[in-house]
Amino acid sequence: MATLAKGLRAHFDWPLFVTVAAIAVVGVTNLYSATSAAGARGDMYIQQIYWLTLGSVVAALVVAIDTRHFERQGFTLYGVGIVLLLLVFLLARTIRGSQRWIPVGSFSLQPSELMKIFLIIALAKYLHNDPKTEGRTLKDLVIPAAILALPMGLVLKQPDLGTGLILAFIFGTIMFLTHLKLRSLFTLVAVFVASAPLTWTYLLKDYQRERFTSFWQQLSGEASKEHILDAGWHAHQSQVAIGSGGFFGKGFMQGTQNQHRFLPDQHSDFPFAVWAEEQGFVGVMLLLGLYLFLVVWGLKIASQAKDRFSAVIAVGVSAMFFWQSAINIAMVMGLLPVVGVTLPLFSYGGSSVLTVMMGVGLLMNVSVRRFSF
Amino acid sequence: MNLLSPRREVGEFKKRYKWMALAAVIAFAALFLRAAHMELVDYDHWQKIATENITKTITLPATRGLLRDTAGRIVATNRPAYNVYVTPQQLDPAKDVLRLAELMGLDPRQKAELVARLAAVPLHRRTHQVEMFRDISRDQLASLEQHEAELRGVDVVAVPVRTYPFGSLAAHAIGYLNEVNAEDLERAPDQGYRAGDTIGRSGIERAWESYVRGRRGVRRVVVDARGQRTDEERNERPRETRREPVPGRDLTLTLDMELMRITERAFRGHPSGGAVVVDVRTGRVRALFSKPSYDLNELAGRLSHERAREIIDNPLRPLIDKTIYESYFPGSTFKPVSALAALGDGILTANSHIECPGYYEYGGRRFRCLQQHGEVDMRQSIVRSCNTFFYDLARQVGMDRLARYARDFGLGERSGIGINTETSGFIPTVSWYQDHYPHGFRGGFTLNEAIGQGNTKVTLMQLAMAYAAIANGGTLYVPQLIESVNAPDGTVIEEFQPRVRRRVNVAREHLTYVVDGLYGVVNDRTGTAYDAHVEGGVPIAGKTGTAQVSGRAARDDEDPRQTWYYNRSHAWFAGFAPAGDPEVVVIVLIEHGGGGGKNAAPIGVQILQEYLGPRYAAEQAATAAAALADPPDAPRAGRARARGGR
Repeated sequence: MATLAKGLRAHFDWPLFVTVAAIAVVGVTNLYSATSAAGARGDMYIQQIYWLTLGSVVAALVVAIDTRHFERQGFTLYGVGIVLLLLVFLLARTIRGSQRWIPVGSFSLQPSELMKIFLIIALAKYLHNDPKTEGRTLKDLVIPAAILALPMGLVLKQPDLGTGLILAFIFGTIMFLTHLKLRSLFTLVAVFVASAPLTWTYLLKDYQRERFTSFWQQLSGEASKEHILDAGWHAHQSQVAIGSGGFFGKGFMQGTQNQHRFLPDQHSDFPFAVWAEEQGFVGVMLLLGLYLFLVVWGLKIASQAKDRFSAVIAVGVSAMFFWQSAINIAMVMGLLPVVGVTLPLFSYGGSSVLTVMMGVGLLMNVSVRRFSF
Repeated sequence: MNLLSPRREVGEFKKRYKWMALAAVIAFAALFLRAAHMELVDYDHWQKIATENITKTITLPATRGLLRDTAGRIVATNRPAYNVYVTPQQLDPAKDVLRLAELMGLDPRQKAELVARLAAVPLHRRTHQVEMFRDISRDQLASLEQHEAELRGVDVVAVPVRTYPFGSLAAHAIGYLNEVNAEDLERAPDQGYRAGDTIGRSGIERAWESYVRGRRGVRRVVVDARGQRTDEERNERPRETRREPVPGRDLTLTLDMELMRITERAFRGHPSGGAVVVDVRTGRVRALFSKPSYDLNELAGRLSHERAREIIDNPLRPLIDKTIYESYFPGSTFKPVSALAALGDGILTANSHIECPGYYEYGGRRFRCLQQHGEVDMRQSIVRSCNTFFYDLARQVGMDRLARYARDFGLGERSGIGINTETSGFIPTVSWYQDHYPHGFRGGFTLNEAIGQGNTKVTLMQLAMAYAAIANGGTLYVPQLIESVNAPDGTVIEEFQPRVRRRVNVAREHLTYVVDGLYGVVNDRTGTAYDAHVEGGVPIAGKTGTAQVSGRAARDDEDPRQTWYYNRSHAWFAGFAPAGDPEVVVIVLIEHGGGGGKNAAPIGVQILQEYLGPRYAAEQAATAAAALADPPDAPRAGRARARGGR
């Protein structure tokens, strides 16, 4: 432990810490405003602080444990994640048409969030133990694809399209690290394109399809007034909030879209709209900068990692931050259809905070240990 | 540590990080550009929507001006009516609707109707207020207010509704309002009318709409997504604004509702007719009475189809303003005009006389008189209404000269009263007959015109103004209905002076001669209105008339009594009082009332006696008392008389 403490002091990753702390502080402040409208749950920001505190403890624990322990227990953790996902179907209550949460005392746990970390670890372990450097073919992808397919299938079954997609994107990013043969890549793309109509018809639920059509209507300017009042309400009002923020924003707690309850789910899926409305373009630049820095810094950590396992972990966590922030912000700005993807450290939610903090812990772990040998 | 697996090479990944970082930068650059576009380029667009989102414009209705009669009695005013609005989405379709029906005291049929109407509200309207009940009763209001907390989504809104305290009295002159329709909105798009507004439909309410209407106010309030007001005292971005409504102007009418009551009372027992009372010194209209009438409150409200049918199909035509819109043969009431025409052009003199055998032969035809009057002069002919004299007069005067005088008195042209649709009546000329009759003009036509038959048609209003001119020495006034325009606090904004239309071209001594004849009609034993004469009352001068109506054949399905009624003559009386110093003229027409002397004169006399009688008697008593109290000293007596005569 003495070496760890010494190593931590010597190599503590301040840029990572400061960036994450900044996002968390800004996020809680924003959450305070987002939940201050009459009739909203006003204590959410306190809950969020509790979760952040707990998440910091978890992150500290994650930093304390050598990555090689994670590597060794990789599939066990993955197994735990799968079991939790299965438990969802046994224990979960149905909220808004889907089952995502396992009640734990007075809280509920969302295993699909934690699964992101477990998937990253499992994939890292697989690649670590498969030190192939020559070009991979489709056959080499079968096992990692299977590792993805099991949890993703369970998540989509809940149904939780957003998290399922994030799992797939994390997988895709990690696989991009490895050298895939060009022909195999083309085959993959072809298969994906060919399967798209089938996915649309058989895998997507009605409300999911509706969101996509609604998105296209709005993007192409064909959205009618009735449509805005109905299916396109979320997307429309969040764009109004952002656009009306202007350069300097309307000021903290002064967002009319937020305070007058035109933004549904402003604490979970749409906190960025609240931020953009109240802090304006200046605030948006700051926040985009923080997220981009976090992602690029994570990739830098990966590039300096001393082994494949650590590198894949760092890339996986960075990918998770990237995809979630990019997809969430794009969706809130009307560039993507509305899917349930949370904005790291901005959205309210215990499981989400814990997952993000675990990721941060893993990054810090890799960063601190890049010199240790 | 040796238990852990050995670290592996990471060289394979090296090349990839830069690509990934580049991809992340590109993706975030796209987000950055999108944000810049929304918040900087399209800011105005989004800002406008955001402001619209939280502002709700509430219309503040303007109070419509009050109408008062000449004595200050309120003739048209506003009361609050309570309408019930329901926001369907906030209502439990089972429980709440049941409770609402219960509180409103609805019967099962009404309840079913309510449920059906609620169910019919389209989806995108369900978050909005929908009007469910109009003008609910006091009991319903009380019960809804008491249980207000139980029913979210039920709102009671007070709106002003026009009421007319006198109901059907002077209904045609006052007029009524109802809601604007699509046609009105299209016709006057710049007048600021909106669906749901009311607009004057007839009478003064229509003609003076722009004065009494006022201008609505607007209030912008800040609301949340559910349309509820947010009352926080924070620094709201679009501040609440308010433009106060401007109340409409009040109007003081020249009408005297007490006189209207007197008139209505005098008409009891006669189903159909009209009366006009005008101040001969000013042309101010004191009464405009048309019977049967309708209740203005009923027409201003929501008239049921059956009730509307009933009013429209009434054979006595309650919707027709019989004083202005309808014209009649004036009958013998036209004779003073004929007399003045003969005197004016020197064709006859006061001494002209004729022997009446009960008829007049002209052009091989016999023109009937009412009876065999024997030797009559012009005054006698007026007093006893001898047709023979006027047939002979007509022959000498000629049609066009008659027409000239009639027109000079305002007959056959619109009086210019300025409300409702006024008909002009008709005064024929020789050339008109030549144009319209197959055999052209014939002398016999003139004979009928001179006694107010043939093709001569006048309105009650015209006749009133003509008789006023006879009574006041020859001044033809424009009838005046509005005395002044007032601000809500009562101050006079605009006062209307009497408007003289012209001086009628008649000599004063000829008028005096004719007026003397008219005095005889009521006060001579031989006068046609002598039976109506009141001993010791206000001295009255006047003329009776019995105008024949176009014959109507009996219909198969008609009650014979009805056929008899519709073939009966119209009864006229035109008079003024006090005879020596005339104040008002009264015109009475009873449709199918029979003889004017027997039926119309008593009504005209009763109106004048009841209206002027008490004041006249008091003045007479005061003059007499003053004369008794003072010694017969000329200058002082004159002063006293002046005081008493006030």
